[in-house]
Amino acid sequence: MLPLPGEDKQVSPYLAFYVIVTVQVGVAILSFESNLVKDAGQDMWISILMAAAATHVLIWMTYQILNKGENDVTVIHRQLFGKWIGGLLSFLFIMYLFMIFVLTLRTYIEVIQLWMFPQIQNWYVALIIAAIVYLYVIGGFRIVAGLCVISFFLTIPLMLLKVFPLMEGLITYLFPIFDYPITALAKAAKTMALNYSGFEILFFCYPFFKQAPQSHKWAQLGSAASTFIYLAAALVSIMYFTKEHLAEVFWPTLTLWKIVDLPFMERLEYLGVALWLFVILPNLCLYLWAATRGLKQLFAIRQKKSLVFFLFLGVLFCAFLREPAYTERLLRFINEAGLYVMYIYIPFLYVYQLIYHKLRGQR
Amino acid sequence: MKKERFKKGWRSPSKSELAALLEKCSESSDFVTFKFHEQSPFAISYYQTLVDKKVLQTSVLDTLKEKEKEWSTVEEIKEAVPIENMTITSQISDIRDKLMSGHILIYKEEDPSECLLISAANVQARQISVPETEYTVVGPKESFVESIETNVTLVRKRLPTPDFKTKELTVGNVTKTRVMVVYIDGIVSQENVNTVIQRIDDITYDKIVDASFINQMIADNPSSPFPQMVDTERPDRVASDLSEGKVAILVDGSPSALTGPTTLTEFFTAFEDYFTIWEMATVFRLIRLFAIVFSVLSTPLYVAVLTYHYEVVPQDVLTSLFASRAGIPFPPLMEAIILELTIELLREAGARLPIKVGQTIGIVGGIVIGTAAVQAGVTSNILLIIVALAALASFTTPVYQISNAVRLIRFPFLIGAGLLGFFGIAICSAILLAHLLKIKSLGRPYLAPVYPVRLKDLKDAFIRLPFDKQITRPMELRPEQPFKFRPKPKPNTKNDLDIDE
Repeated sequence: MLPLPGEDKQVSPYLAFYVIVTVQVGVAILSFESNLVKDAGQDMWISILMAAAATHVLIWMTYQILNKGENDVTVIHRQLFGKWIGGLLSFLFIMYLFMIFVLTLRTYIEVIQLWMFPQIQNWYVALIIAAIVYLYVIGGFRIVAGLCVISFFLTIPLMLLKVFPLMEGLITYLFPIFDYPITALAKAAKTMALNYSGFEILFFCYPFFKQAPQSHKWAQLGSAASTFIYLAAALVSIMYFTKEHLAEVFWPTLTLWKIVDLPFMERLEYLGVALWLFVILPNLCLYLWAATRGLKQLFAIRQKKSLVFFLFLGVLFCAFLREPAYTERLLRFINEAGLYVMYIYIPFLYVYQLIYHKLRGQR
Repeated sequence: MKKERFKKGWRSPSKSELAALLEKCSESSDFVTFKFHEQSPFAISYYQTLVDKKVLQTSVLDTLKEKEKEWSTVEEIKEAVPIENMTITSQISDIRDKLMSGHILIYKEEDPSECLLISAANVQARQISVPETEYTVVGPKESFVESIETNVTLVRKRLPTPDFKTKELTVGNVTKTRVMVVYIDGIVSQENVNTVIQRIDDITYDKIVDASFINQMIADNPSSPFPQMVDTERPDRVASDLSEGKVAILVDGSPSALTGPTTLTEFFTAFEDYFTIWEMATVFRLIRLFAIVFSVLSTPLYVAVLTYHYEVVPQDVLTSLFASRAGIPFPPLMEAIILELTIELLREAGARLPIKVGQTIGIVGGIVIGTAAVQAGVTSNILLIIVALAALASFTTPVYQISNAVRLIRFPFLIGAGLLGFFGIAICSAILLAHLLKIKSLGRPYLAPVYPVRLKDLKDAFIRLPFDKQITRPMELRPEQPFKFRPKPKPNTKNDLDIDE
């Protein structure tokens, strides 16, 4: 097991805010409304709030687990389940993070192909982005956290673009409230919960915060900020589109950028898609950083090597995932896995650790 | 040889060692050795070109001539000569170094175990003049010169405190350049001072000609186009930086000082910002910042829009854009690169030529070539405007070295835009950002106060708040004394006054 990271590698606890916001707001925010509207219609904001509440509880649990374990998840796994089972669980976790990395990358490439360069090859874009990810992850967690901060501030102007559709939206589209049954809302909340995934990163970056328990409140605030961003996006979409229209639009946010009309610029989705690189880059970097860090903890593989290996694998995956149907299937699988990780595995780990410590305390 | 030395005592130079040194020196035609008369036991040696003739004549030779016959040791001479800086040494390396820095050597020919060295250096310094690269309309108009003594004087008279300390080091095994690390004890973080001294000590190079040599050699990331210490010719700026808790480096023979640790935002800070009212200074700073962004991005955006994304241009603008480009045989990327290179050519030619010829070049280049290029249909009017504006904007940076970096990074952006449009520009920005995040200045983050976020330091980064709001020194520097001053409590009554009271 590796020693805890030195102070020069650690970052201030407030950075948990930026890490959580950027990791939760990823490529999903471009398209999530059209998935929600099918189940919850104009009441989708209630579903978002429901999912947000659940996420806050999960983050709380995550911190309870980590505060007790005082290290990252691989150490906790080994402590609770022993070397083999614990190691296997950690390995699965790492693979899960890597698969999210691949899917995020693939989805962004798809956005570029759909909205900017229809002819561009998968591997070409994947290779370029992989090179950038390498530049960041090689700098360590401090640099990746810095990217999160800059990316947060760079994307604020993109959020402000929502003002244009808002001015043309109709507030009446929000009514009637509570039109949908609670089961439909819950179903939409389940879909929405996936967009909040990403905070699992905390399981790996926890020891990299100075006075790590203090980062809890910042992580919660970060999650609240993501909720605010999702809520704003959802409300604007509901007010601008009709329900039926929204269900058909696959990328509502990008479509809304189209209507922005500045005196010197039109069709802002081109700029938006390009700038969106700064939104998904922290995601990619964080997932890959966590995966390589986990591998280092498990097998003592140098992060520099595993990083190159993972990037190579990622580019390969993206190059061969050309059929949208395969991507779709993989996405569904990972979504399912994500739900299990978040809503079954984290509570399980929490309870198990609680019992484990109680029993050991008695002994 | 070794045994002989041992017998005589290792401290005193053997006759032969001194003789060897003197013989080596006298191979230069400006080295003089003489005696007053044949019987005199003392010989005098010095470099004519290094010694101040006036000091030599009035203080040394006159005194010697009067009383020479009475003396038998160099100590007696030392007491008689009215000069402050004299040493008696027997160390051969010491003698050599001092001879080379303008000392007069007096020794007994029979017994050279003790040599007297009288300091009489002939300091040839330029007059203190008006700063040229950092000229300000308001404020002090003194700038550093090539003499390190004068430069320290210029700073010290602005900081009349014994806490202002200087530490002298010698670097360069051929040039033996004197370098002074200056700081204010009690404000500066000792860690920063140690870093600077350590790094200067580690320099192994034969010649240190200018402060810019040191700047490159002690940089945290030596291959970065971004300078990692501020290079200034203004003593007032150095004094102000020192009082904030920075460390400054003065180099003999260089009319500029280095201060650090620094941040990227500081390169967009003109010292004049502090001489004007704060709103004005803030506006100017923001204009400068905008100018830099514009300078880097404008031509790449033009290329990206005309190559891939002409949809983003509104209809009316598009018409004139295409009208100006009609008939141009090159793709936008090539058109832009040709023009950018032309501007660089003009700048480089202008920089190499004497001022008056340089102006002619400016006119020839700017007007004749520009107009001719458009009329010949090689470039479009609009691109010409954009490129010229971008070049202009890159010169708004108050610190000269950063403007070079800004112009250099424009080219990768251009190529990125030519290959992948807006997405290419975003990729270049991401790479640039990764680079900036990694740079450190003397071990302190370069992008502060943006990352790590230091809200308090924002008061003097992109904006400049009034002086009464500038209570703390930059946290980024980790000063030992974080407060610049204690604000006086304001009288409460002021708030309660009504209009007519």
